[in-house]
Amino acid sequence: MTPEEMLARLDAPLSLRKRVGYLAVAFAGLTGSALIGLLWVTEPGLPTRTNVAFAVLVAIGLCWAAFGGWAVTRRTPLFARDRVVAGWLGVGAWLVFSVGALIISLVRQEFEPLLLGVVLVLGVVAAVHLRAARRARAALLRRRNALAETAVGGE
Amino acid sequence: MSDELLVVRCQLGEREAFAELVQGWHPAVERYVGRMLGGSDDDVVQEVWLAVFKGLPRLRQPDRFAPWLFAIARRAVLNRLRDAYARPEPEPIDDRPGDDEAEGVVNRETLAGALAALPAREREVLLLFYLEDLPLDACAQICAVPVGTIKSRLNRARRLLRHELVRKGYEA
Repeated sequence: MTPEEMLARLDAPLSLRKRVGYLAVAFAGLTGSALIGLLWVTEPGLPTRTNVAFAVLVAIGLCWAAFGGWAVTRRTPLFARDRVVAGWLGVGAWLVFSVGALIISLVRQEFEPLLLGVVLVLGVVAAVHLRAARRARAALLRRRNALAETAVGGE
Repeated sequence: MSDELLVVRCQLGEREAFAELVQGWHPAVERYVGRMLGGSDDDVVQEVWLAVFKGLPRLRQPDRFAPWLFAIARRAVLNRLRDAYARPEPEPIDDRPGDDEAEGVVNRETLAGALAALPAREREVLLLFYLEDLPLDACAQICAVPVGTIKSRLNRARRLLRHELVRKGYEA
């Protein structure tokens, strides 16, 4: 088998689009189930059927999040660039959740300190992840440039 | 381009760097797998490259790519040869260095042909040390044993190989 044939066989796992897709699915599932969960806990006196419906929706979101998480940890690796993309997707998911939480609070006309705390903690987690991913990528870029210069200088 | 630079580019997420890495190392992986298993096996080679791709972000020493790659290839081969590796290792042979006539006489292709008759452990060290030109410490890292064990396996392997070559009529 030639190297090209081997690369063709590895086409699916090598696909960047697929990796980003898994990440997007994971964050969408997580954000969706978090917002639905928030609606659920802030809605008093729901009938049993509605409670079940909410629980099912939250479970579906969590399943997608678990699938995406499993895929990017087991099925395909995340490289430095992918981690930066993941960091930004995390920030985006946090923003969507924060806006959703704000809208729900405004509609309910009640301020929940616990909810604010959760939003802040999630924001810090998202920012720390993004920063770590950018730093790791910057370190690799410096290493790549240094090695490339050495290679050019050695020729 | 050096392997270290290619690995760093892979770790950044450059797909074309991975393609270059595969183009550069695929023949060696295919050769190693083929000679260890006694025939080419595309599925095992694919398994190796998939594991390499998945493991690249966690490779801490990009300058040690070759031993890392062969360690992965060895694991894949090991899965196929589990029975051969399960046999206990024979007692070390007290073989003085430098008295190995086969080493100087046999060319690479003849060596490769006779290798098939050797036990898996001995075949492996000969492949890595002679055919892939890897240093002793890299062989030790790949096989996950001390350098001394590699040396004794090499001694035993050379002796077995000599017997095999003599049996095949290369005594001259």
